[in-house]
Amino acid sequence: MKRLAAIAALAAIATATACGSTGTTDTATAGGVYTTIDGSKQINASAPINPFNPVGSVFSGYNGMALAWPKNDPIDPNQYYPAIASSWTVSPDQREVVIHLQPNARWSDGEPVTSEDVRVSIGLAYTQGGTAYALDPKAAGAAADIQVVDGKTIRITQGANRSSMFLSNLLSTVVVPAHVFGRLLPGDFWSTLKLAQTGSGQAAERAKSRITGLAEKVIGFAPPHDVSAGPFVLERVNPGAALLRRNPYFYNSRAIAPDKVKVLNYTGNEQIWNYLISGRLDNAPFTSVPTAVMERIQEARGSRVVRGYSPVSTAMAFNQAHKPYDNAHVRRALAYLIDRAQVTRIASPEGGTPAATTSGIHAKAARAWLGDGFDRLDPYRVDPAKAAAELRAAGMVLRGGKWAMPDGKPWKVQIHVPASFSDWVSAAKSISSQLVDHGIDATVVTAADYTLYLGELADGKYDVGFWLIGLGPSPYNIFQRLFGQANGWQMFGGRLRHVAPGTEGNWMGGPQVVDAGADGRVDPGELTARLNFASPQEQKQIVGVLARIANQQVPVIQLWDYVNTQFVNTSRYTAFPPDDDESLRLSSGVWMQLGMIKKRQA
Amino acid sequence: MTVIINPEGVADPQASPARTTRATLRRNFWRGVWRVLRRKPSRMAGVVIIVLFALMGIAGPLLYPDNLPRDDNALYAPPSLAHPFGTDFEGTDVLALVVTGARYVLLTGLATAAITVAVGTAIGLFAGFRRGRWDTVLMRLTDMNLAIPGLPLLLVLSTVWKFEGPLEMGLVLGLLGWGGIARAVRSQTLSLRERGFIEAARGLGLPTRHIIGRELLPGMAPYIAMNMLIAVTGAVYAQVGLFFLGVLPFESNNWGVMLNLAVFNGGALTTPAALPYLLAPLLAILLLTLGIVLIVDAMDEIFNPRLREE
Repeated sequence: MKRLAAIAALAAIATATACGSTGTTDTATAGGVYTTIDGSKQINASAPINPFNPVGSVFSGYNGMALAWPKNDPIDPNQYYPAIASSWTVSPDQREVVIHLQPNARWSDGEPVTSEDVRVSIGLAYTQGGTAYALDPKAAGAAADIQVVDGKTIRITQGANRSSMFLSNLLSTVVVPAHVFGRLLPGDFWSTLKLAQTGSGQAAERAKSRITGLAEKVIGFAPPHDVSAGPFVLERVNPGAALLRRNPYFYNSRAIAPDKVKVLNYTGNEQIWNYLISGRLDNAPFTSVPTAVMERIQEARGSRVVRGYSPVSTAMAFNQAHKPYDNAHVRRALAYLIDRAQVTRIASPEGGTPAATTSGIHAKAARAWLGDGFDRLDPYRVDPAKAAAELRAAGMVLRGGKWAMPDGKPWKVQIHVPASFSDWVSAAKSISSQLVDHGIDATVVTAADYTLYLGELADGKYDVGFWLIGLGPSPYNIFQRLFGQANGWQMFGGRLRHVAPGTEGNWMGGPQVVDAGADGRVDPGELTARLNFASPQEQKQIVGVLARIANQQVPVIQLWDYVNTQFVNTSRYTAFPPDDDESLRLSSGVWMQLGMIKKRQA
Repeated sequence: MTVIINPEGVADPQASPARTTRATLRRNFWRGVWRVLRRKPSRMAGVVIIVLFALMGIAGPLLYPDNLPRDDNALYAPPSLAHPFGTDFEGTDVLALVVTGARYVLLTGLATAAITVAVGTAIGLFAGFRRGRWDTVLMRLTDMNLAIPGLPLLLVLSTVWKFEGPLEMGLVLGLLGWGGIARAVRSQTLSLRERGFIEAARGLGLPTRHIIGRELLPGMAPYIAMNMLIAVTGAVYAQVGLFFLGVLPFESNNWGVMLNLAVFNGGALTTPAALPYLLAPLLAILLLTLGIVLIVDAMDEIFNPRLREE
């Protein structure tokens, strides 16, 4: 990657183009030019200024605005900072959400931001699909009705199949100006949508096709210039950088210190390291950094590291349809043999903490969900004796110092990782070395790129592969990584079904029902799906059961929990968020909206 | 009892004249080789380097245990007596990685060179000697081979083929790289086939196989041999490059993998901590190339009498 950390892959960081200066003179005035990078995408100078385009020149928090910004809460996915939405109310049954827009919000061309803008944005979101904007009315958490109450208020109603993520999905809606993007929606769009959602037969199918058929048109739309409701407006973009100037109409313009923002492009982590060492960046979002490089970065004048919670963990996952990984004893044995502290020290010394155990949840969230129950999970400390006992219990045989399959055939553990994630590659190598030390023939096999890796993984070609888990804060999102589609549970049309291993993306191949000890025989996929609509109390109880199942059945071995390591430079600007701040995973643009980041006074 | 030793240069009356002549030629050839090598110390250095690499390839892995020892507390350790090139990301001696990794690199290089030369020479000789339709077809085939963008094709191939062994790797690199030699050999063949000695051979009614194998090929052997050595360096660069890009299977002692991990995992281009890890395989590649270049220099003089500085 062109090496990127695994966490970066989750955020779909792409790295391609070269970096340079904007090529023009930037007239820095009192507020100065704030320099940063976009951690979520590459800069593409020819991409349209369109947030629906995956590579569009819209930078979240700067010239890209959502209704609200998610807080980095370990367990509550519905915690948000206000943005275009100044406030919102949710009915007790979570069926109805009323959103109130910022009274002073205006677009950069002076037009006010209205409920119609939000309605058009939702209409455009329907063309792209998504959890809250699924055309299938039976889909969990799909919006059923959008009602403009007045110019600054909009009411959205959830369909019959409710989800606790409804509010969160609504508030994440990106808002675009109706007077620019509105023409993309045909005149009969809303009646077509109604037909698609409530109709039946061929007419409904045709309506669905018409709406999804708009997707390409929406993605390809290129407005002639940027019209932003955010604190900045795109001034120009070239392959090296994007330059944004302050939006005088932004509703909280007084809070914004810089006059301009320069978003630099990069080809890989090494370029970001060099920017940081030279002190060019005022902020860089999470970047995987070796220890020696971290020391160099910290030597730069004004350089500071801010650390916080990141709801992602790296795990080594098993294909339980392949022998001997169908046997929980084998999986547990491997867990007892892997020194997670050493693996983390080698793979992610600055961006991770060794997993305390395997629970499927990041340790910080796990403690919040499970309380003392977290300490009662088996920590799987390195214990070769226990590992040997587990392997014997699985029928594995030790011959000439090497473990073999029960029938005496050689056992070769192949650990698959994408070659482009060098932290995963080095972790896999460390694990293979440790297993070899304990008489297990282990090797690392790399896939040429991440897309190929995911494809082969889904096809069930791997016995063992690296897998991101614990994608919080929503408990459903956390456990669907273990007991979701990849393990055979598919949610379709509001109905859950389990498919056979090796089919429809079920590569983990776990059993549909497991013996969960004191919890009885449990269908973990069904429990996971229930997290979508369970009450907070029920959620806590379900999370406890699922964490215990993950700990005992070991569908994955949790290796390390990520730490959100941000870099800031206080030479030019101050008032950055502190460690563990809830805004830490948001862009600098959002920090500015929230009143942070002030010009350093001489 | 008296033992009579046949003194050098005195022909054995029992031996056939042809065998004696061949033995004398061989002796003179090796004397000439020795003379050419001694003339420039750099050439001797080249031979020493290549012999060292050959030994590394043959015996290197035998010097170390199958699983190289690691020091968990010495990740990216600086160079020391115990670790002349420091250690890697998991505390393994970098020198041990370079030595044990030499076999794969050299085997790939040799396999590539052998296939490149065998295919290129055969096609070039055949096309040049037969001319006509065969020449047209084979040269269009050669043009196609030359037009194939090697690196992108290898990148695509790597997604469907795992290249698990050096011979597989060598086969692919060799099949992609024979075009240049085929063209050059064809040109030489076209030139030589009009010479008098070939005309004479034809006039004597000697078979085509004899004319190509015994008359044409020896004249081009030096050129082919030099190309073979140069193909080794090309193959080393190509496979190390592919491993560096991370598109080939992971082997911790592969030089390309070492370069990749030094740069992307160790930050060797940003900080000096992982620099020895980067420099060790680079130095190995540099030395190997240098050794080959120096030997090619000597070969040039051995096979081209006009360059001899008697």
